Amino acid sequence: MLSKEQNDLLTQTGPATPMGRLFRCYWMPVLLATELPENECPPVRVKLLSERLLAFRDTNGRYGLIDEFCAHRGVSLWFGRNEECGLRCPYHGWKYDVTGQCIEVPSEPEESGFAKKIKLKSYPLVERGGVLWTYMGPPEQQPALPEWEFAMVPPAQRFVSKRTQENNWLQAMEGGIDSSHVSFLHRGNLNSDPLFKGAKGNQYNLSDPRPHFEVVESPGGLYIGARRNAEHGQYYWRITQWVMPSFTMIPPRGDHPVHGHFWVPIDDENCWTWNFDYKPTAPLSQAEVEAMRAGQGIHVTYVPGTFRPRANKDNDYLIDRAAQKGGATYSGVAGIAMQDASLQESMGPIVDRTKENLVSTDNGIIMARHRLLRAVKALMEKDVTPPGVDLEHQRVRSAAVVLPPDKAYKDAARDALKVRAGVHHASV
Amino acid sequence: MMRSESARMSSAAEARFRIDAPNSTPRAIKVIALDRPSEVALKRIAQLPWNKADFLTASALAGAAHSEGALSVEHWLSDLVGRTKALIQEIDGADLVIMVATAGENAAGASVIAETCRLRGVMITVLIRGSASASDDAAARTLAPLRRDALMVVVASADDYIVDMLTALRA
Repeated sequence: MLSKEQNDLLTQTGPATPMGRLFRCYWMPVLLATELPENECPPVRVKLLSERLLAFRDTNGRYGLIDEFCAHRGVSLWFGRNEECGLRCPYHGWKYDVTGQCIEVPSEPEESGFAKKIKLKSYPLVERGGVLWTYMGPPEQQPALPEWEFAMVPPAQRFVSKRTQENNWLQAMEGGIDSSHVSFLHRGNLNSDPLFKGAKGNQYNLSDPRPHFEVVESPGGLYIGARRNAEHGQYYWRITQWVMPSFTMIPPRGDHPVHGHFWVPIDDENCWTWNFDYKPTAPLSQAEVEAMRAGQGIHVTYVPGTFRPRANKDNDYLIDRAAQKGGATYSGVAGIAMQDASLQESMGPIVDRTKENLVSTDNGIIMARHRLLRAVKALMEKDVTPPGVDLEHQRVRSAAVVLPPDKAYKDAARDALKVRAGVHHASV
Repeated sequence: MMRSESARMSSAAEARFRIDAPNSTPRAIKVIALDRPSEVALKRIAQLPWNKADFLTASALAGAAHSEGALSVEHWLSDLVGRTKALIQEIDGADLVIMVATAGENAAGASVIAETCRLRGVMITVLIRGSASASDDAAARTLAPLRRDALMVVVASADDYIVDMLTALRA
């Protein structure tokens, strides 16, 4: 459990909140690069950390992320005309560049210099790995661009998707580090999902439903190791990476791609779930990409024209009670992503953590909250840069390995838990 | 369009109607220091208000491992002011046992406690107190004999994690 004060602190990420300040220390994914596919394309509304913004790509290909509303009368610039290196408000013709600087106010004489006095709040927007990233903190503290491995490999080696999730970022993220739910909620998928099935590690998963856990602090966050029995007295370890504040990387299975998530607050009651799959050393196969596009693995299919999952709360997640009863799915909801999201959304927009009863196997979640609270305190009181900003903290991998029983995974799998150029990820 | 039941019931407005009544009773949690440094840490933590946590020490076992004579069974466990406690009786009354060890220290007491827990079906969590100065090797050495029996192992760099963990568990 958390106190109400702690729960409020961790779940509120708007401007001027402590957790909002922490999130504003990082580069965060905003849009798929395909959402702004060409110069002078239509702008896209963005809501991030409870701020209403507008993303656009100007005549010269420069990206901008600016206050959504015109400084004149408050019109949404989503209606704007993207033309001649700027976005023009259709109401009275005020025009802004990608930095939010007003460059034209038609009603005022140019020589008056009035336009120079108008500037909308803006944030940098840069493309890396097929994703547009922003940094919303103080410009003088802007860190180096992110170097998550999935974003650094050639395009043919990765697949990235995103979906909206209708609850606070923390309860979604906590699902990503809750290794003990997999044996229940997702058990039907290990042998059926094309992006999971066939791995030897699945046998260990299914034959040992009571894993042992080891939670160890890492420089950027946590290693969460789940241990099951393997042959000859050895242990099968699945090691999840959590890097602050909201990056998780799930251990791979067999030759399947490795995958993970970012959970990014839209506001305090909604978040973006970003999903990535990649192979560090080889292209994804056509079959793998087709499966991802079809909503398999950690991906979903959508309500056309949106990033809202097709199975959503408005249709009761297309729950199939016969599939639940027959065992095809454990909860009756199809697909790993929506199995998680349906339950997390059912907790309400912001779950009341004063009512929960955590158990010993929830120590990954307890430790993540502890580290977040510690980092927020250090940031607010001593201006200490939080873990996860340092690029070294981002050069990590999850791993699945078989180890002798007397070996600590943190040491025995040390190399497997880091990015190694040209080396395949460790998987069973 | 008619909203689905899931849509209506997962709204913030509906969250207000969640029943406001206790949904659990406190679990009996035994927190046992396995060495002297952990005992010192637990003495500080034990001063805080807890629901149903008992703080004990088996550090005498660690000391006995270094000495010639065997420690008699009645002295294996004591509370933090030195009163001897019966191990079996303490474990019998526990829902969860949390063993606290310090990286680099001898965790000799663990196997006796773990065996007692195993026989009585009591779950074990092991918490290794690391620190900036403790090496990974030291933590690994201390952890090795504890790993087999613990359902959950946590290696934490600061003692305030023990407080946060116990609070989260409603100890």
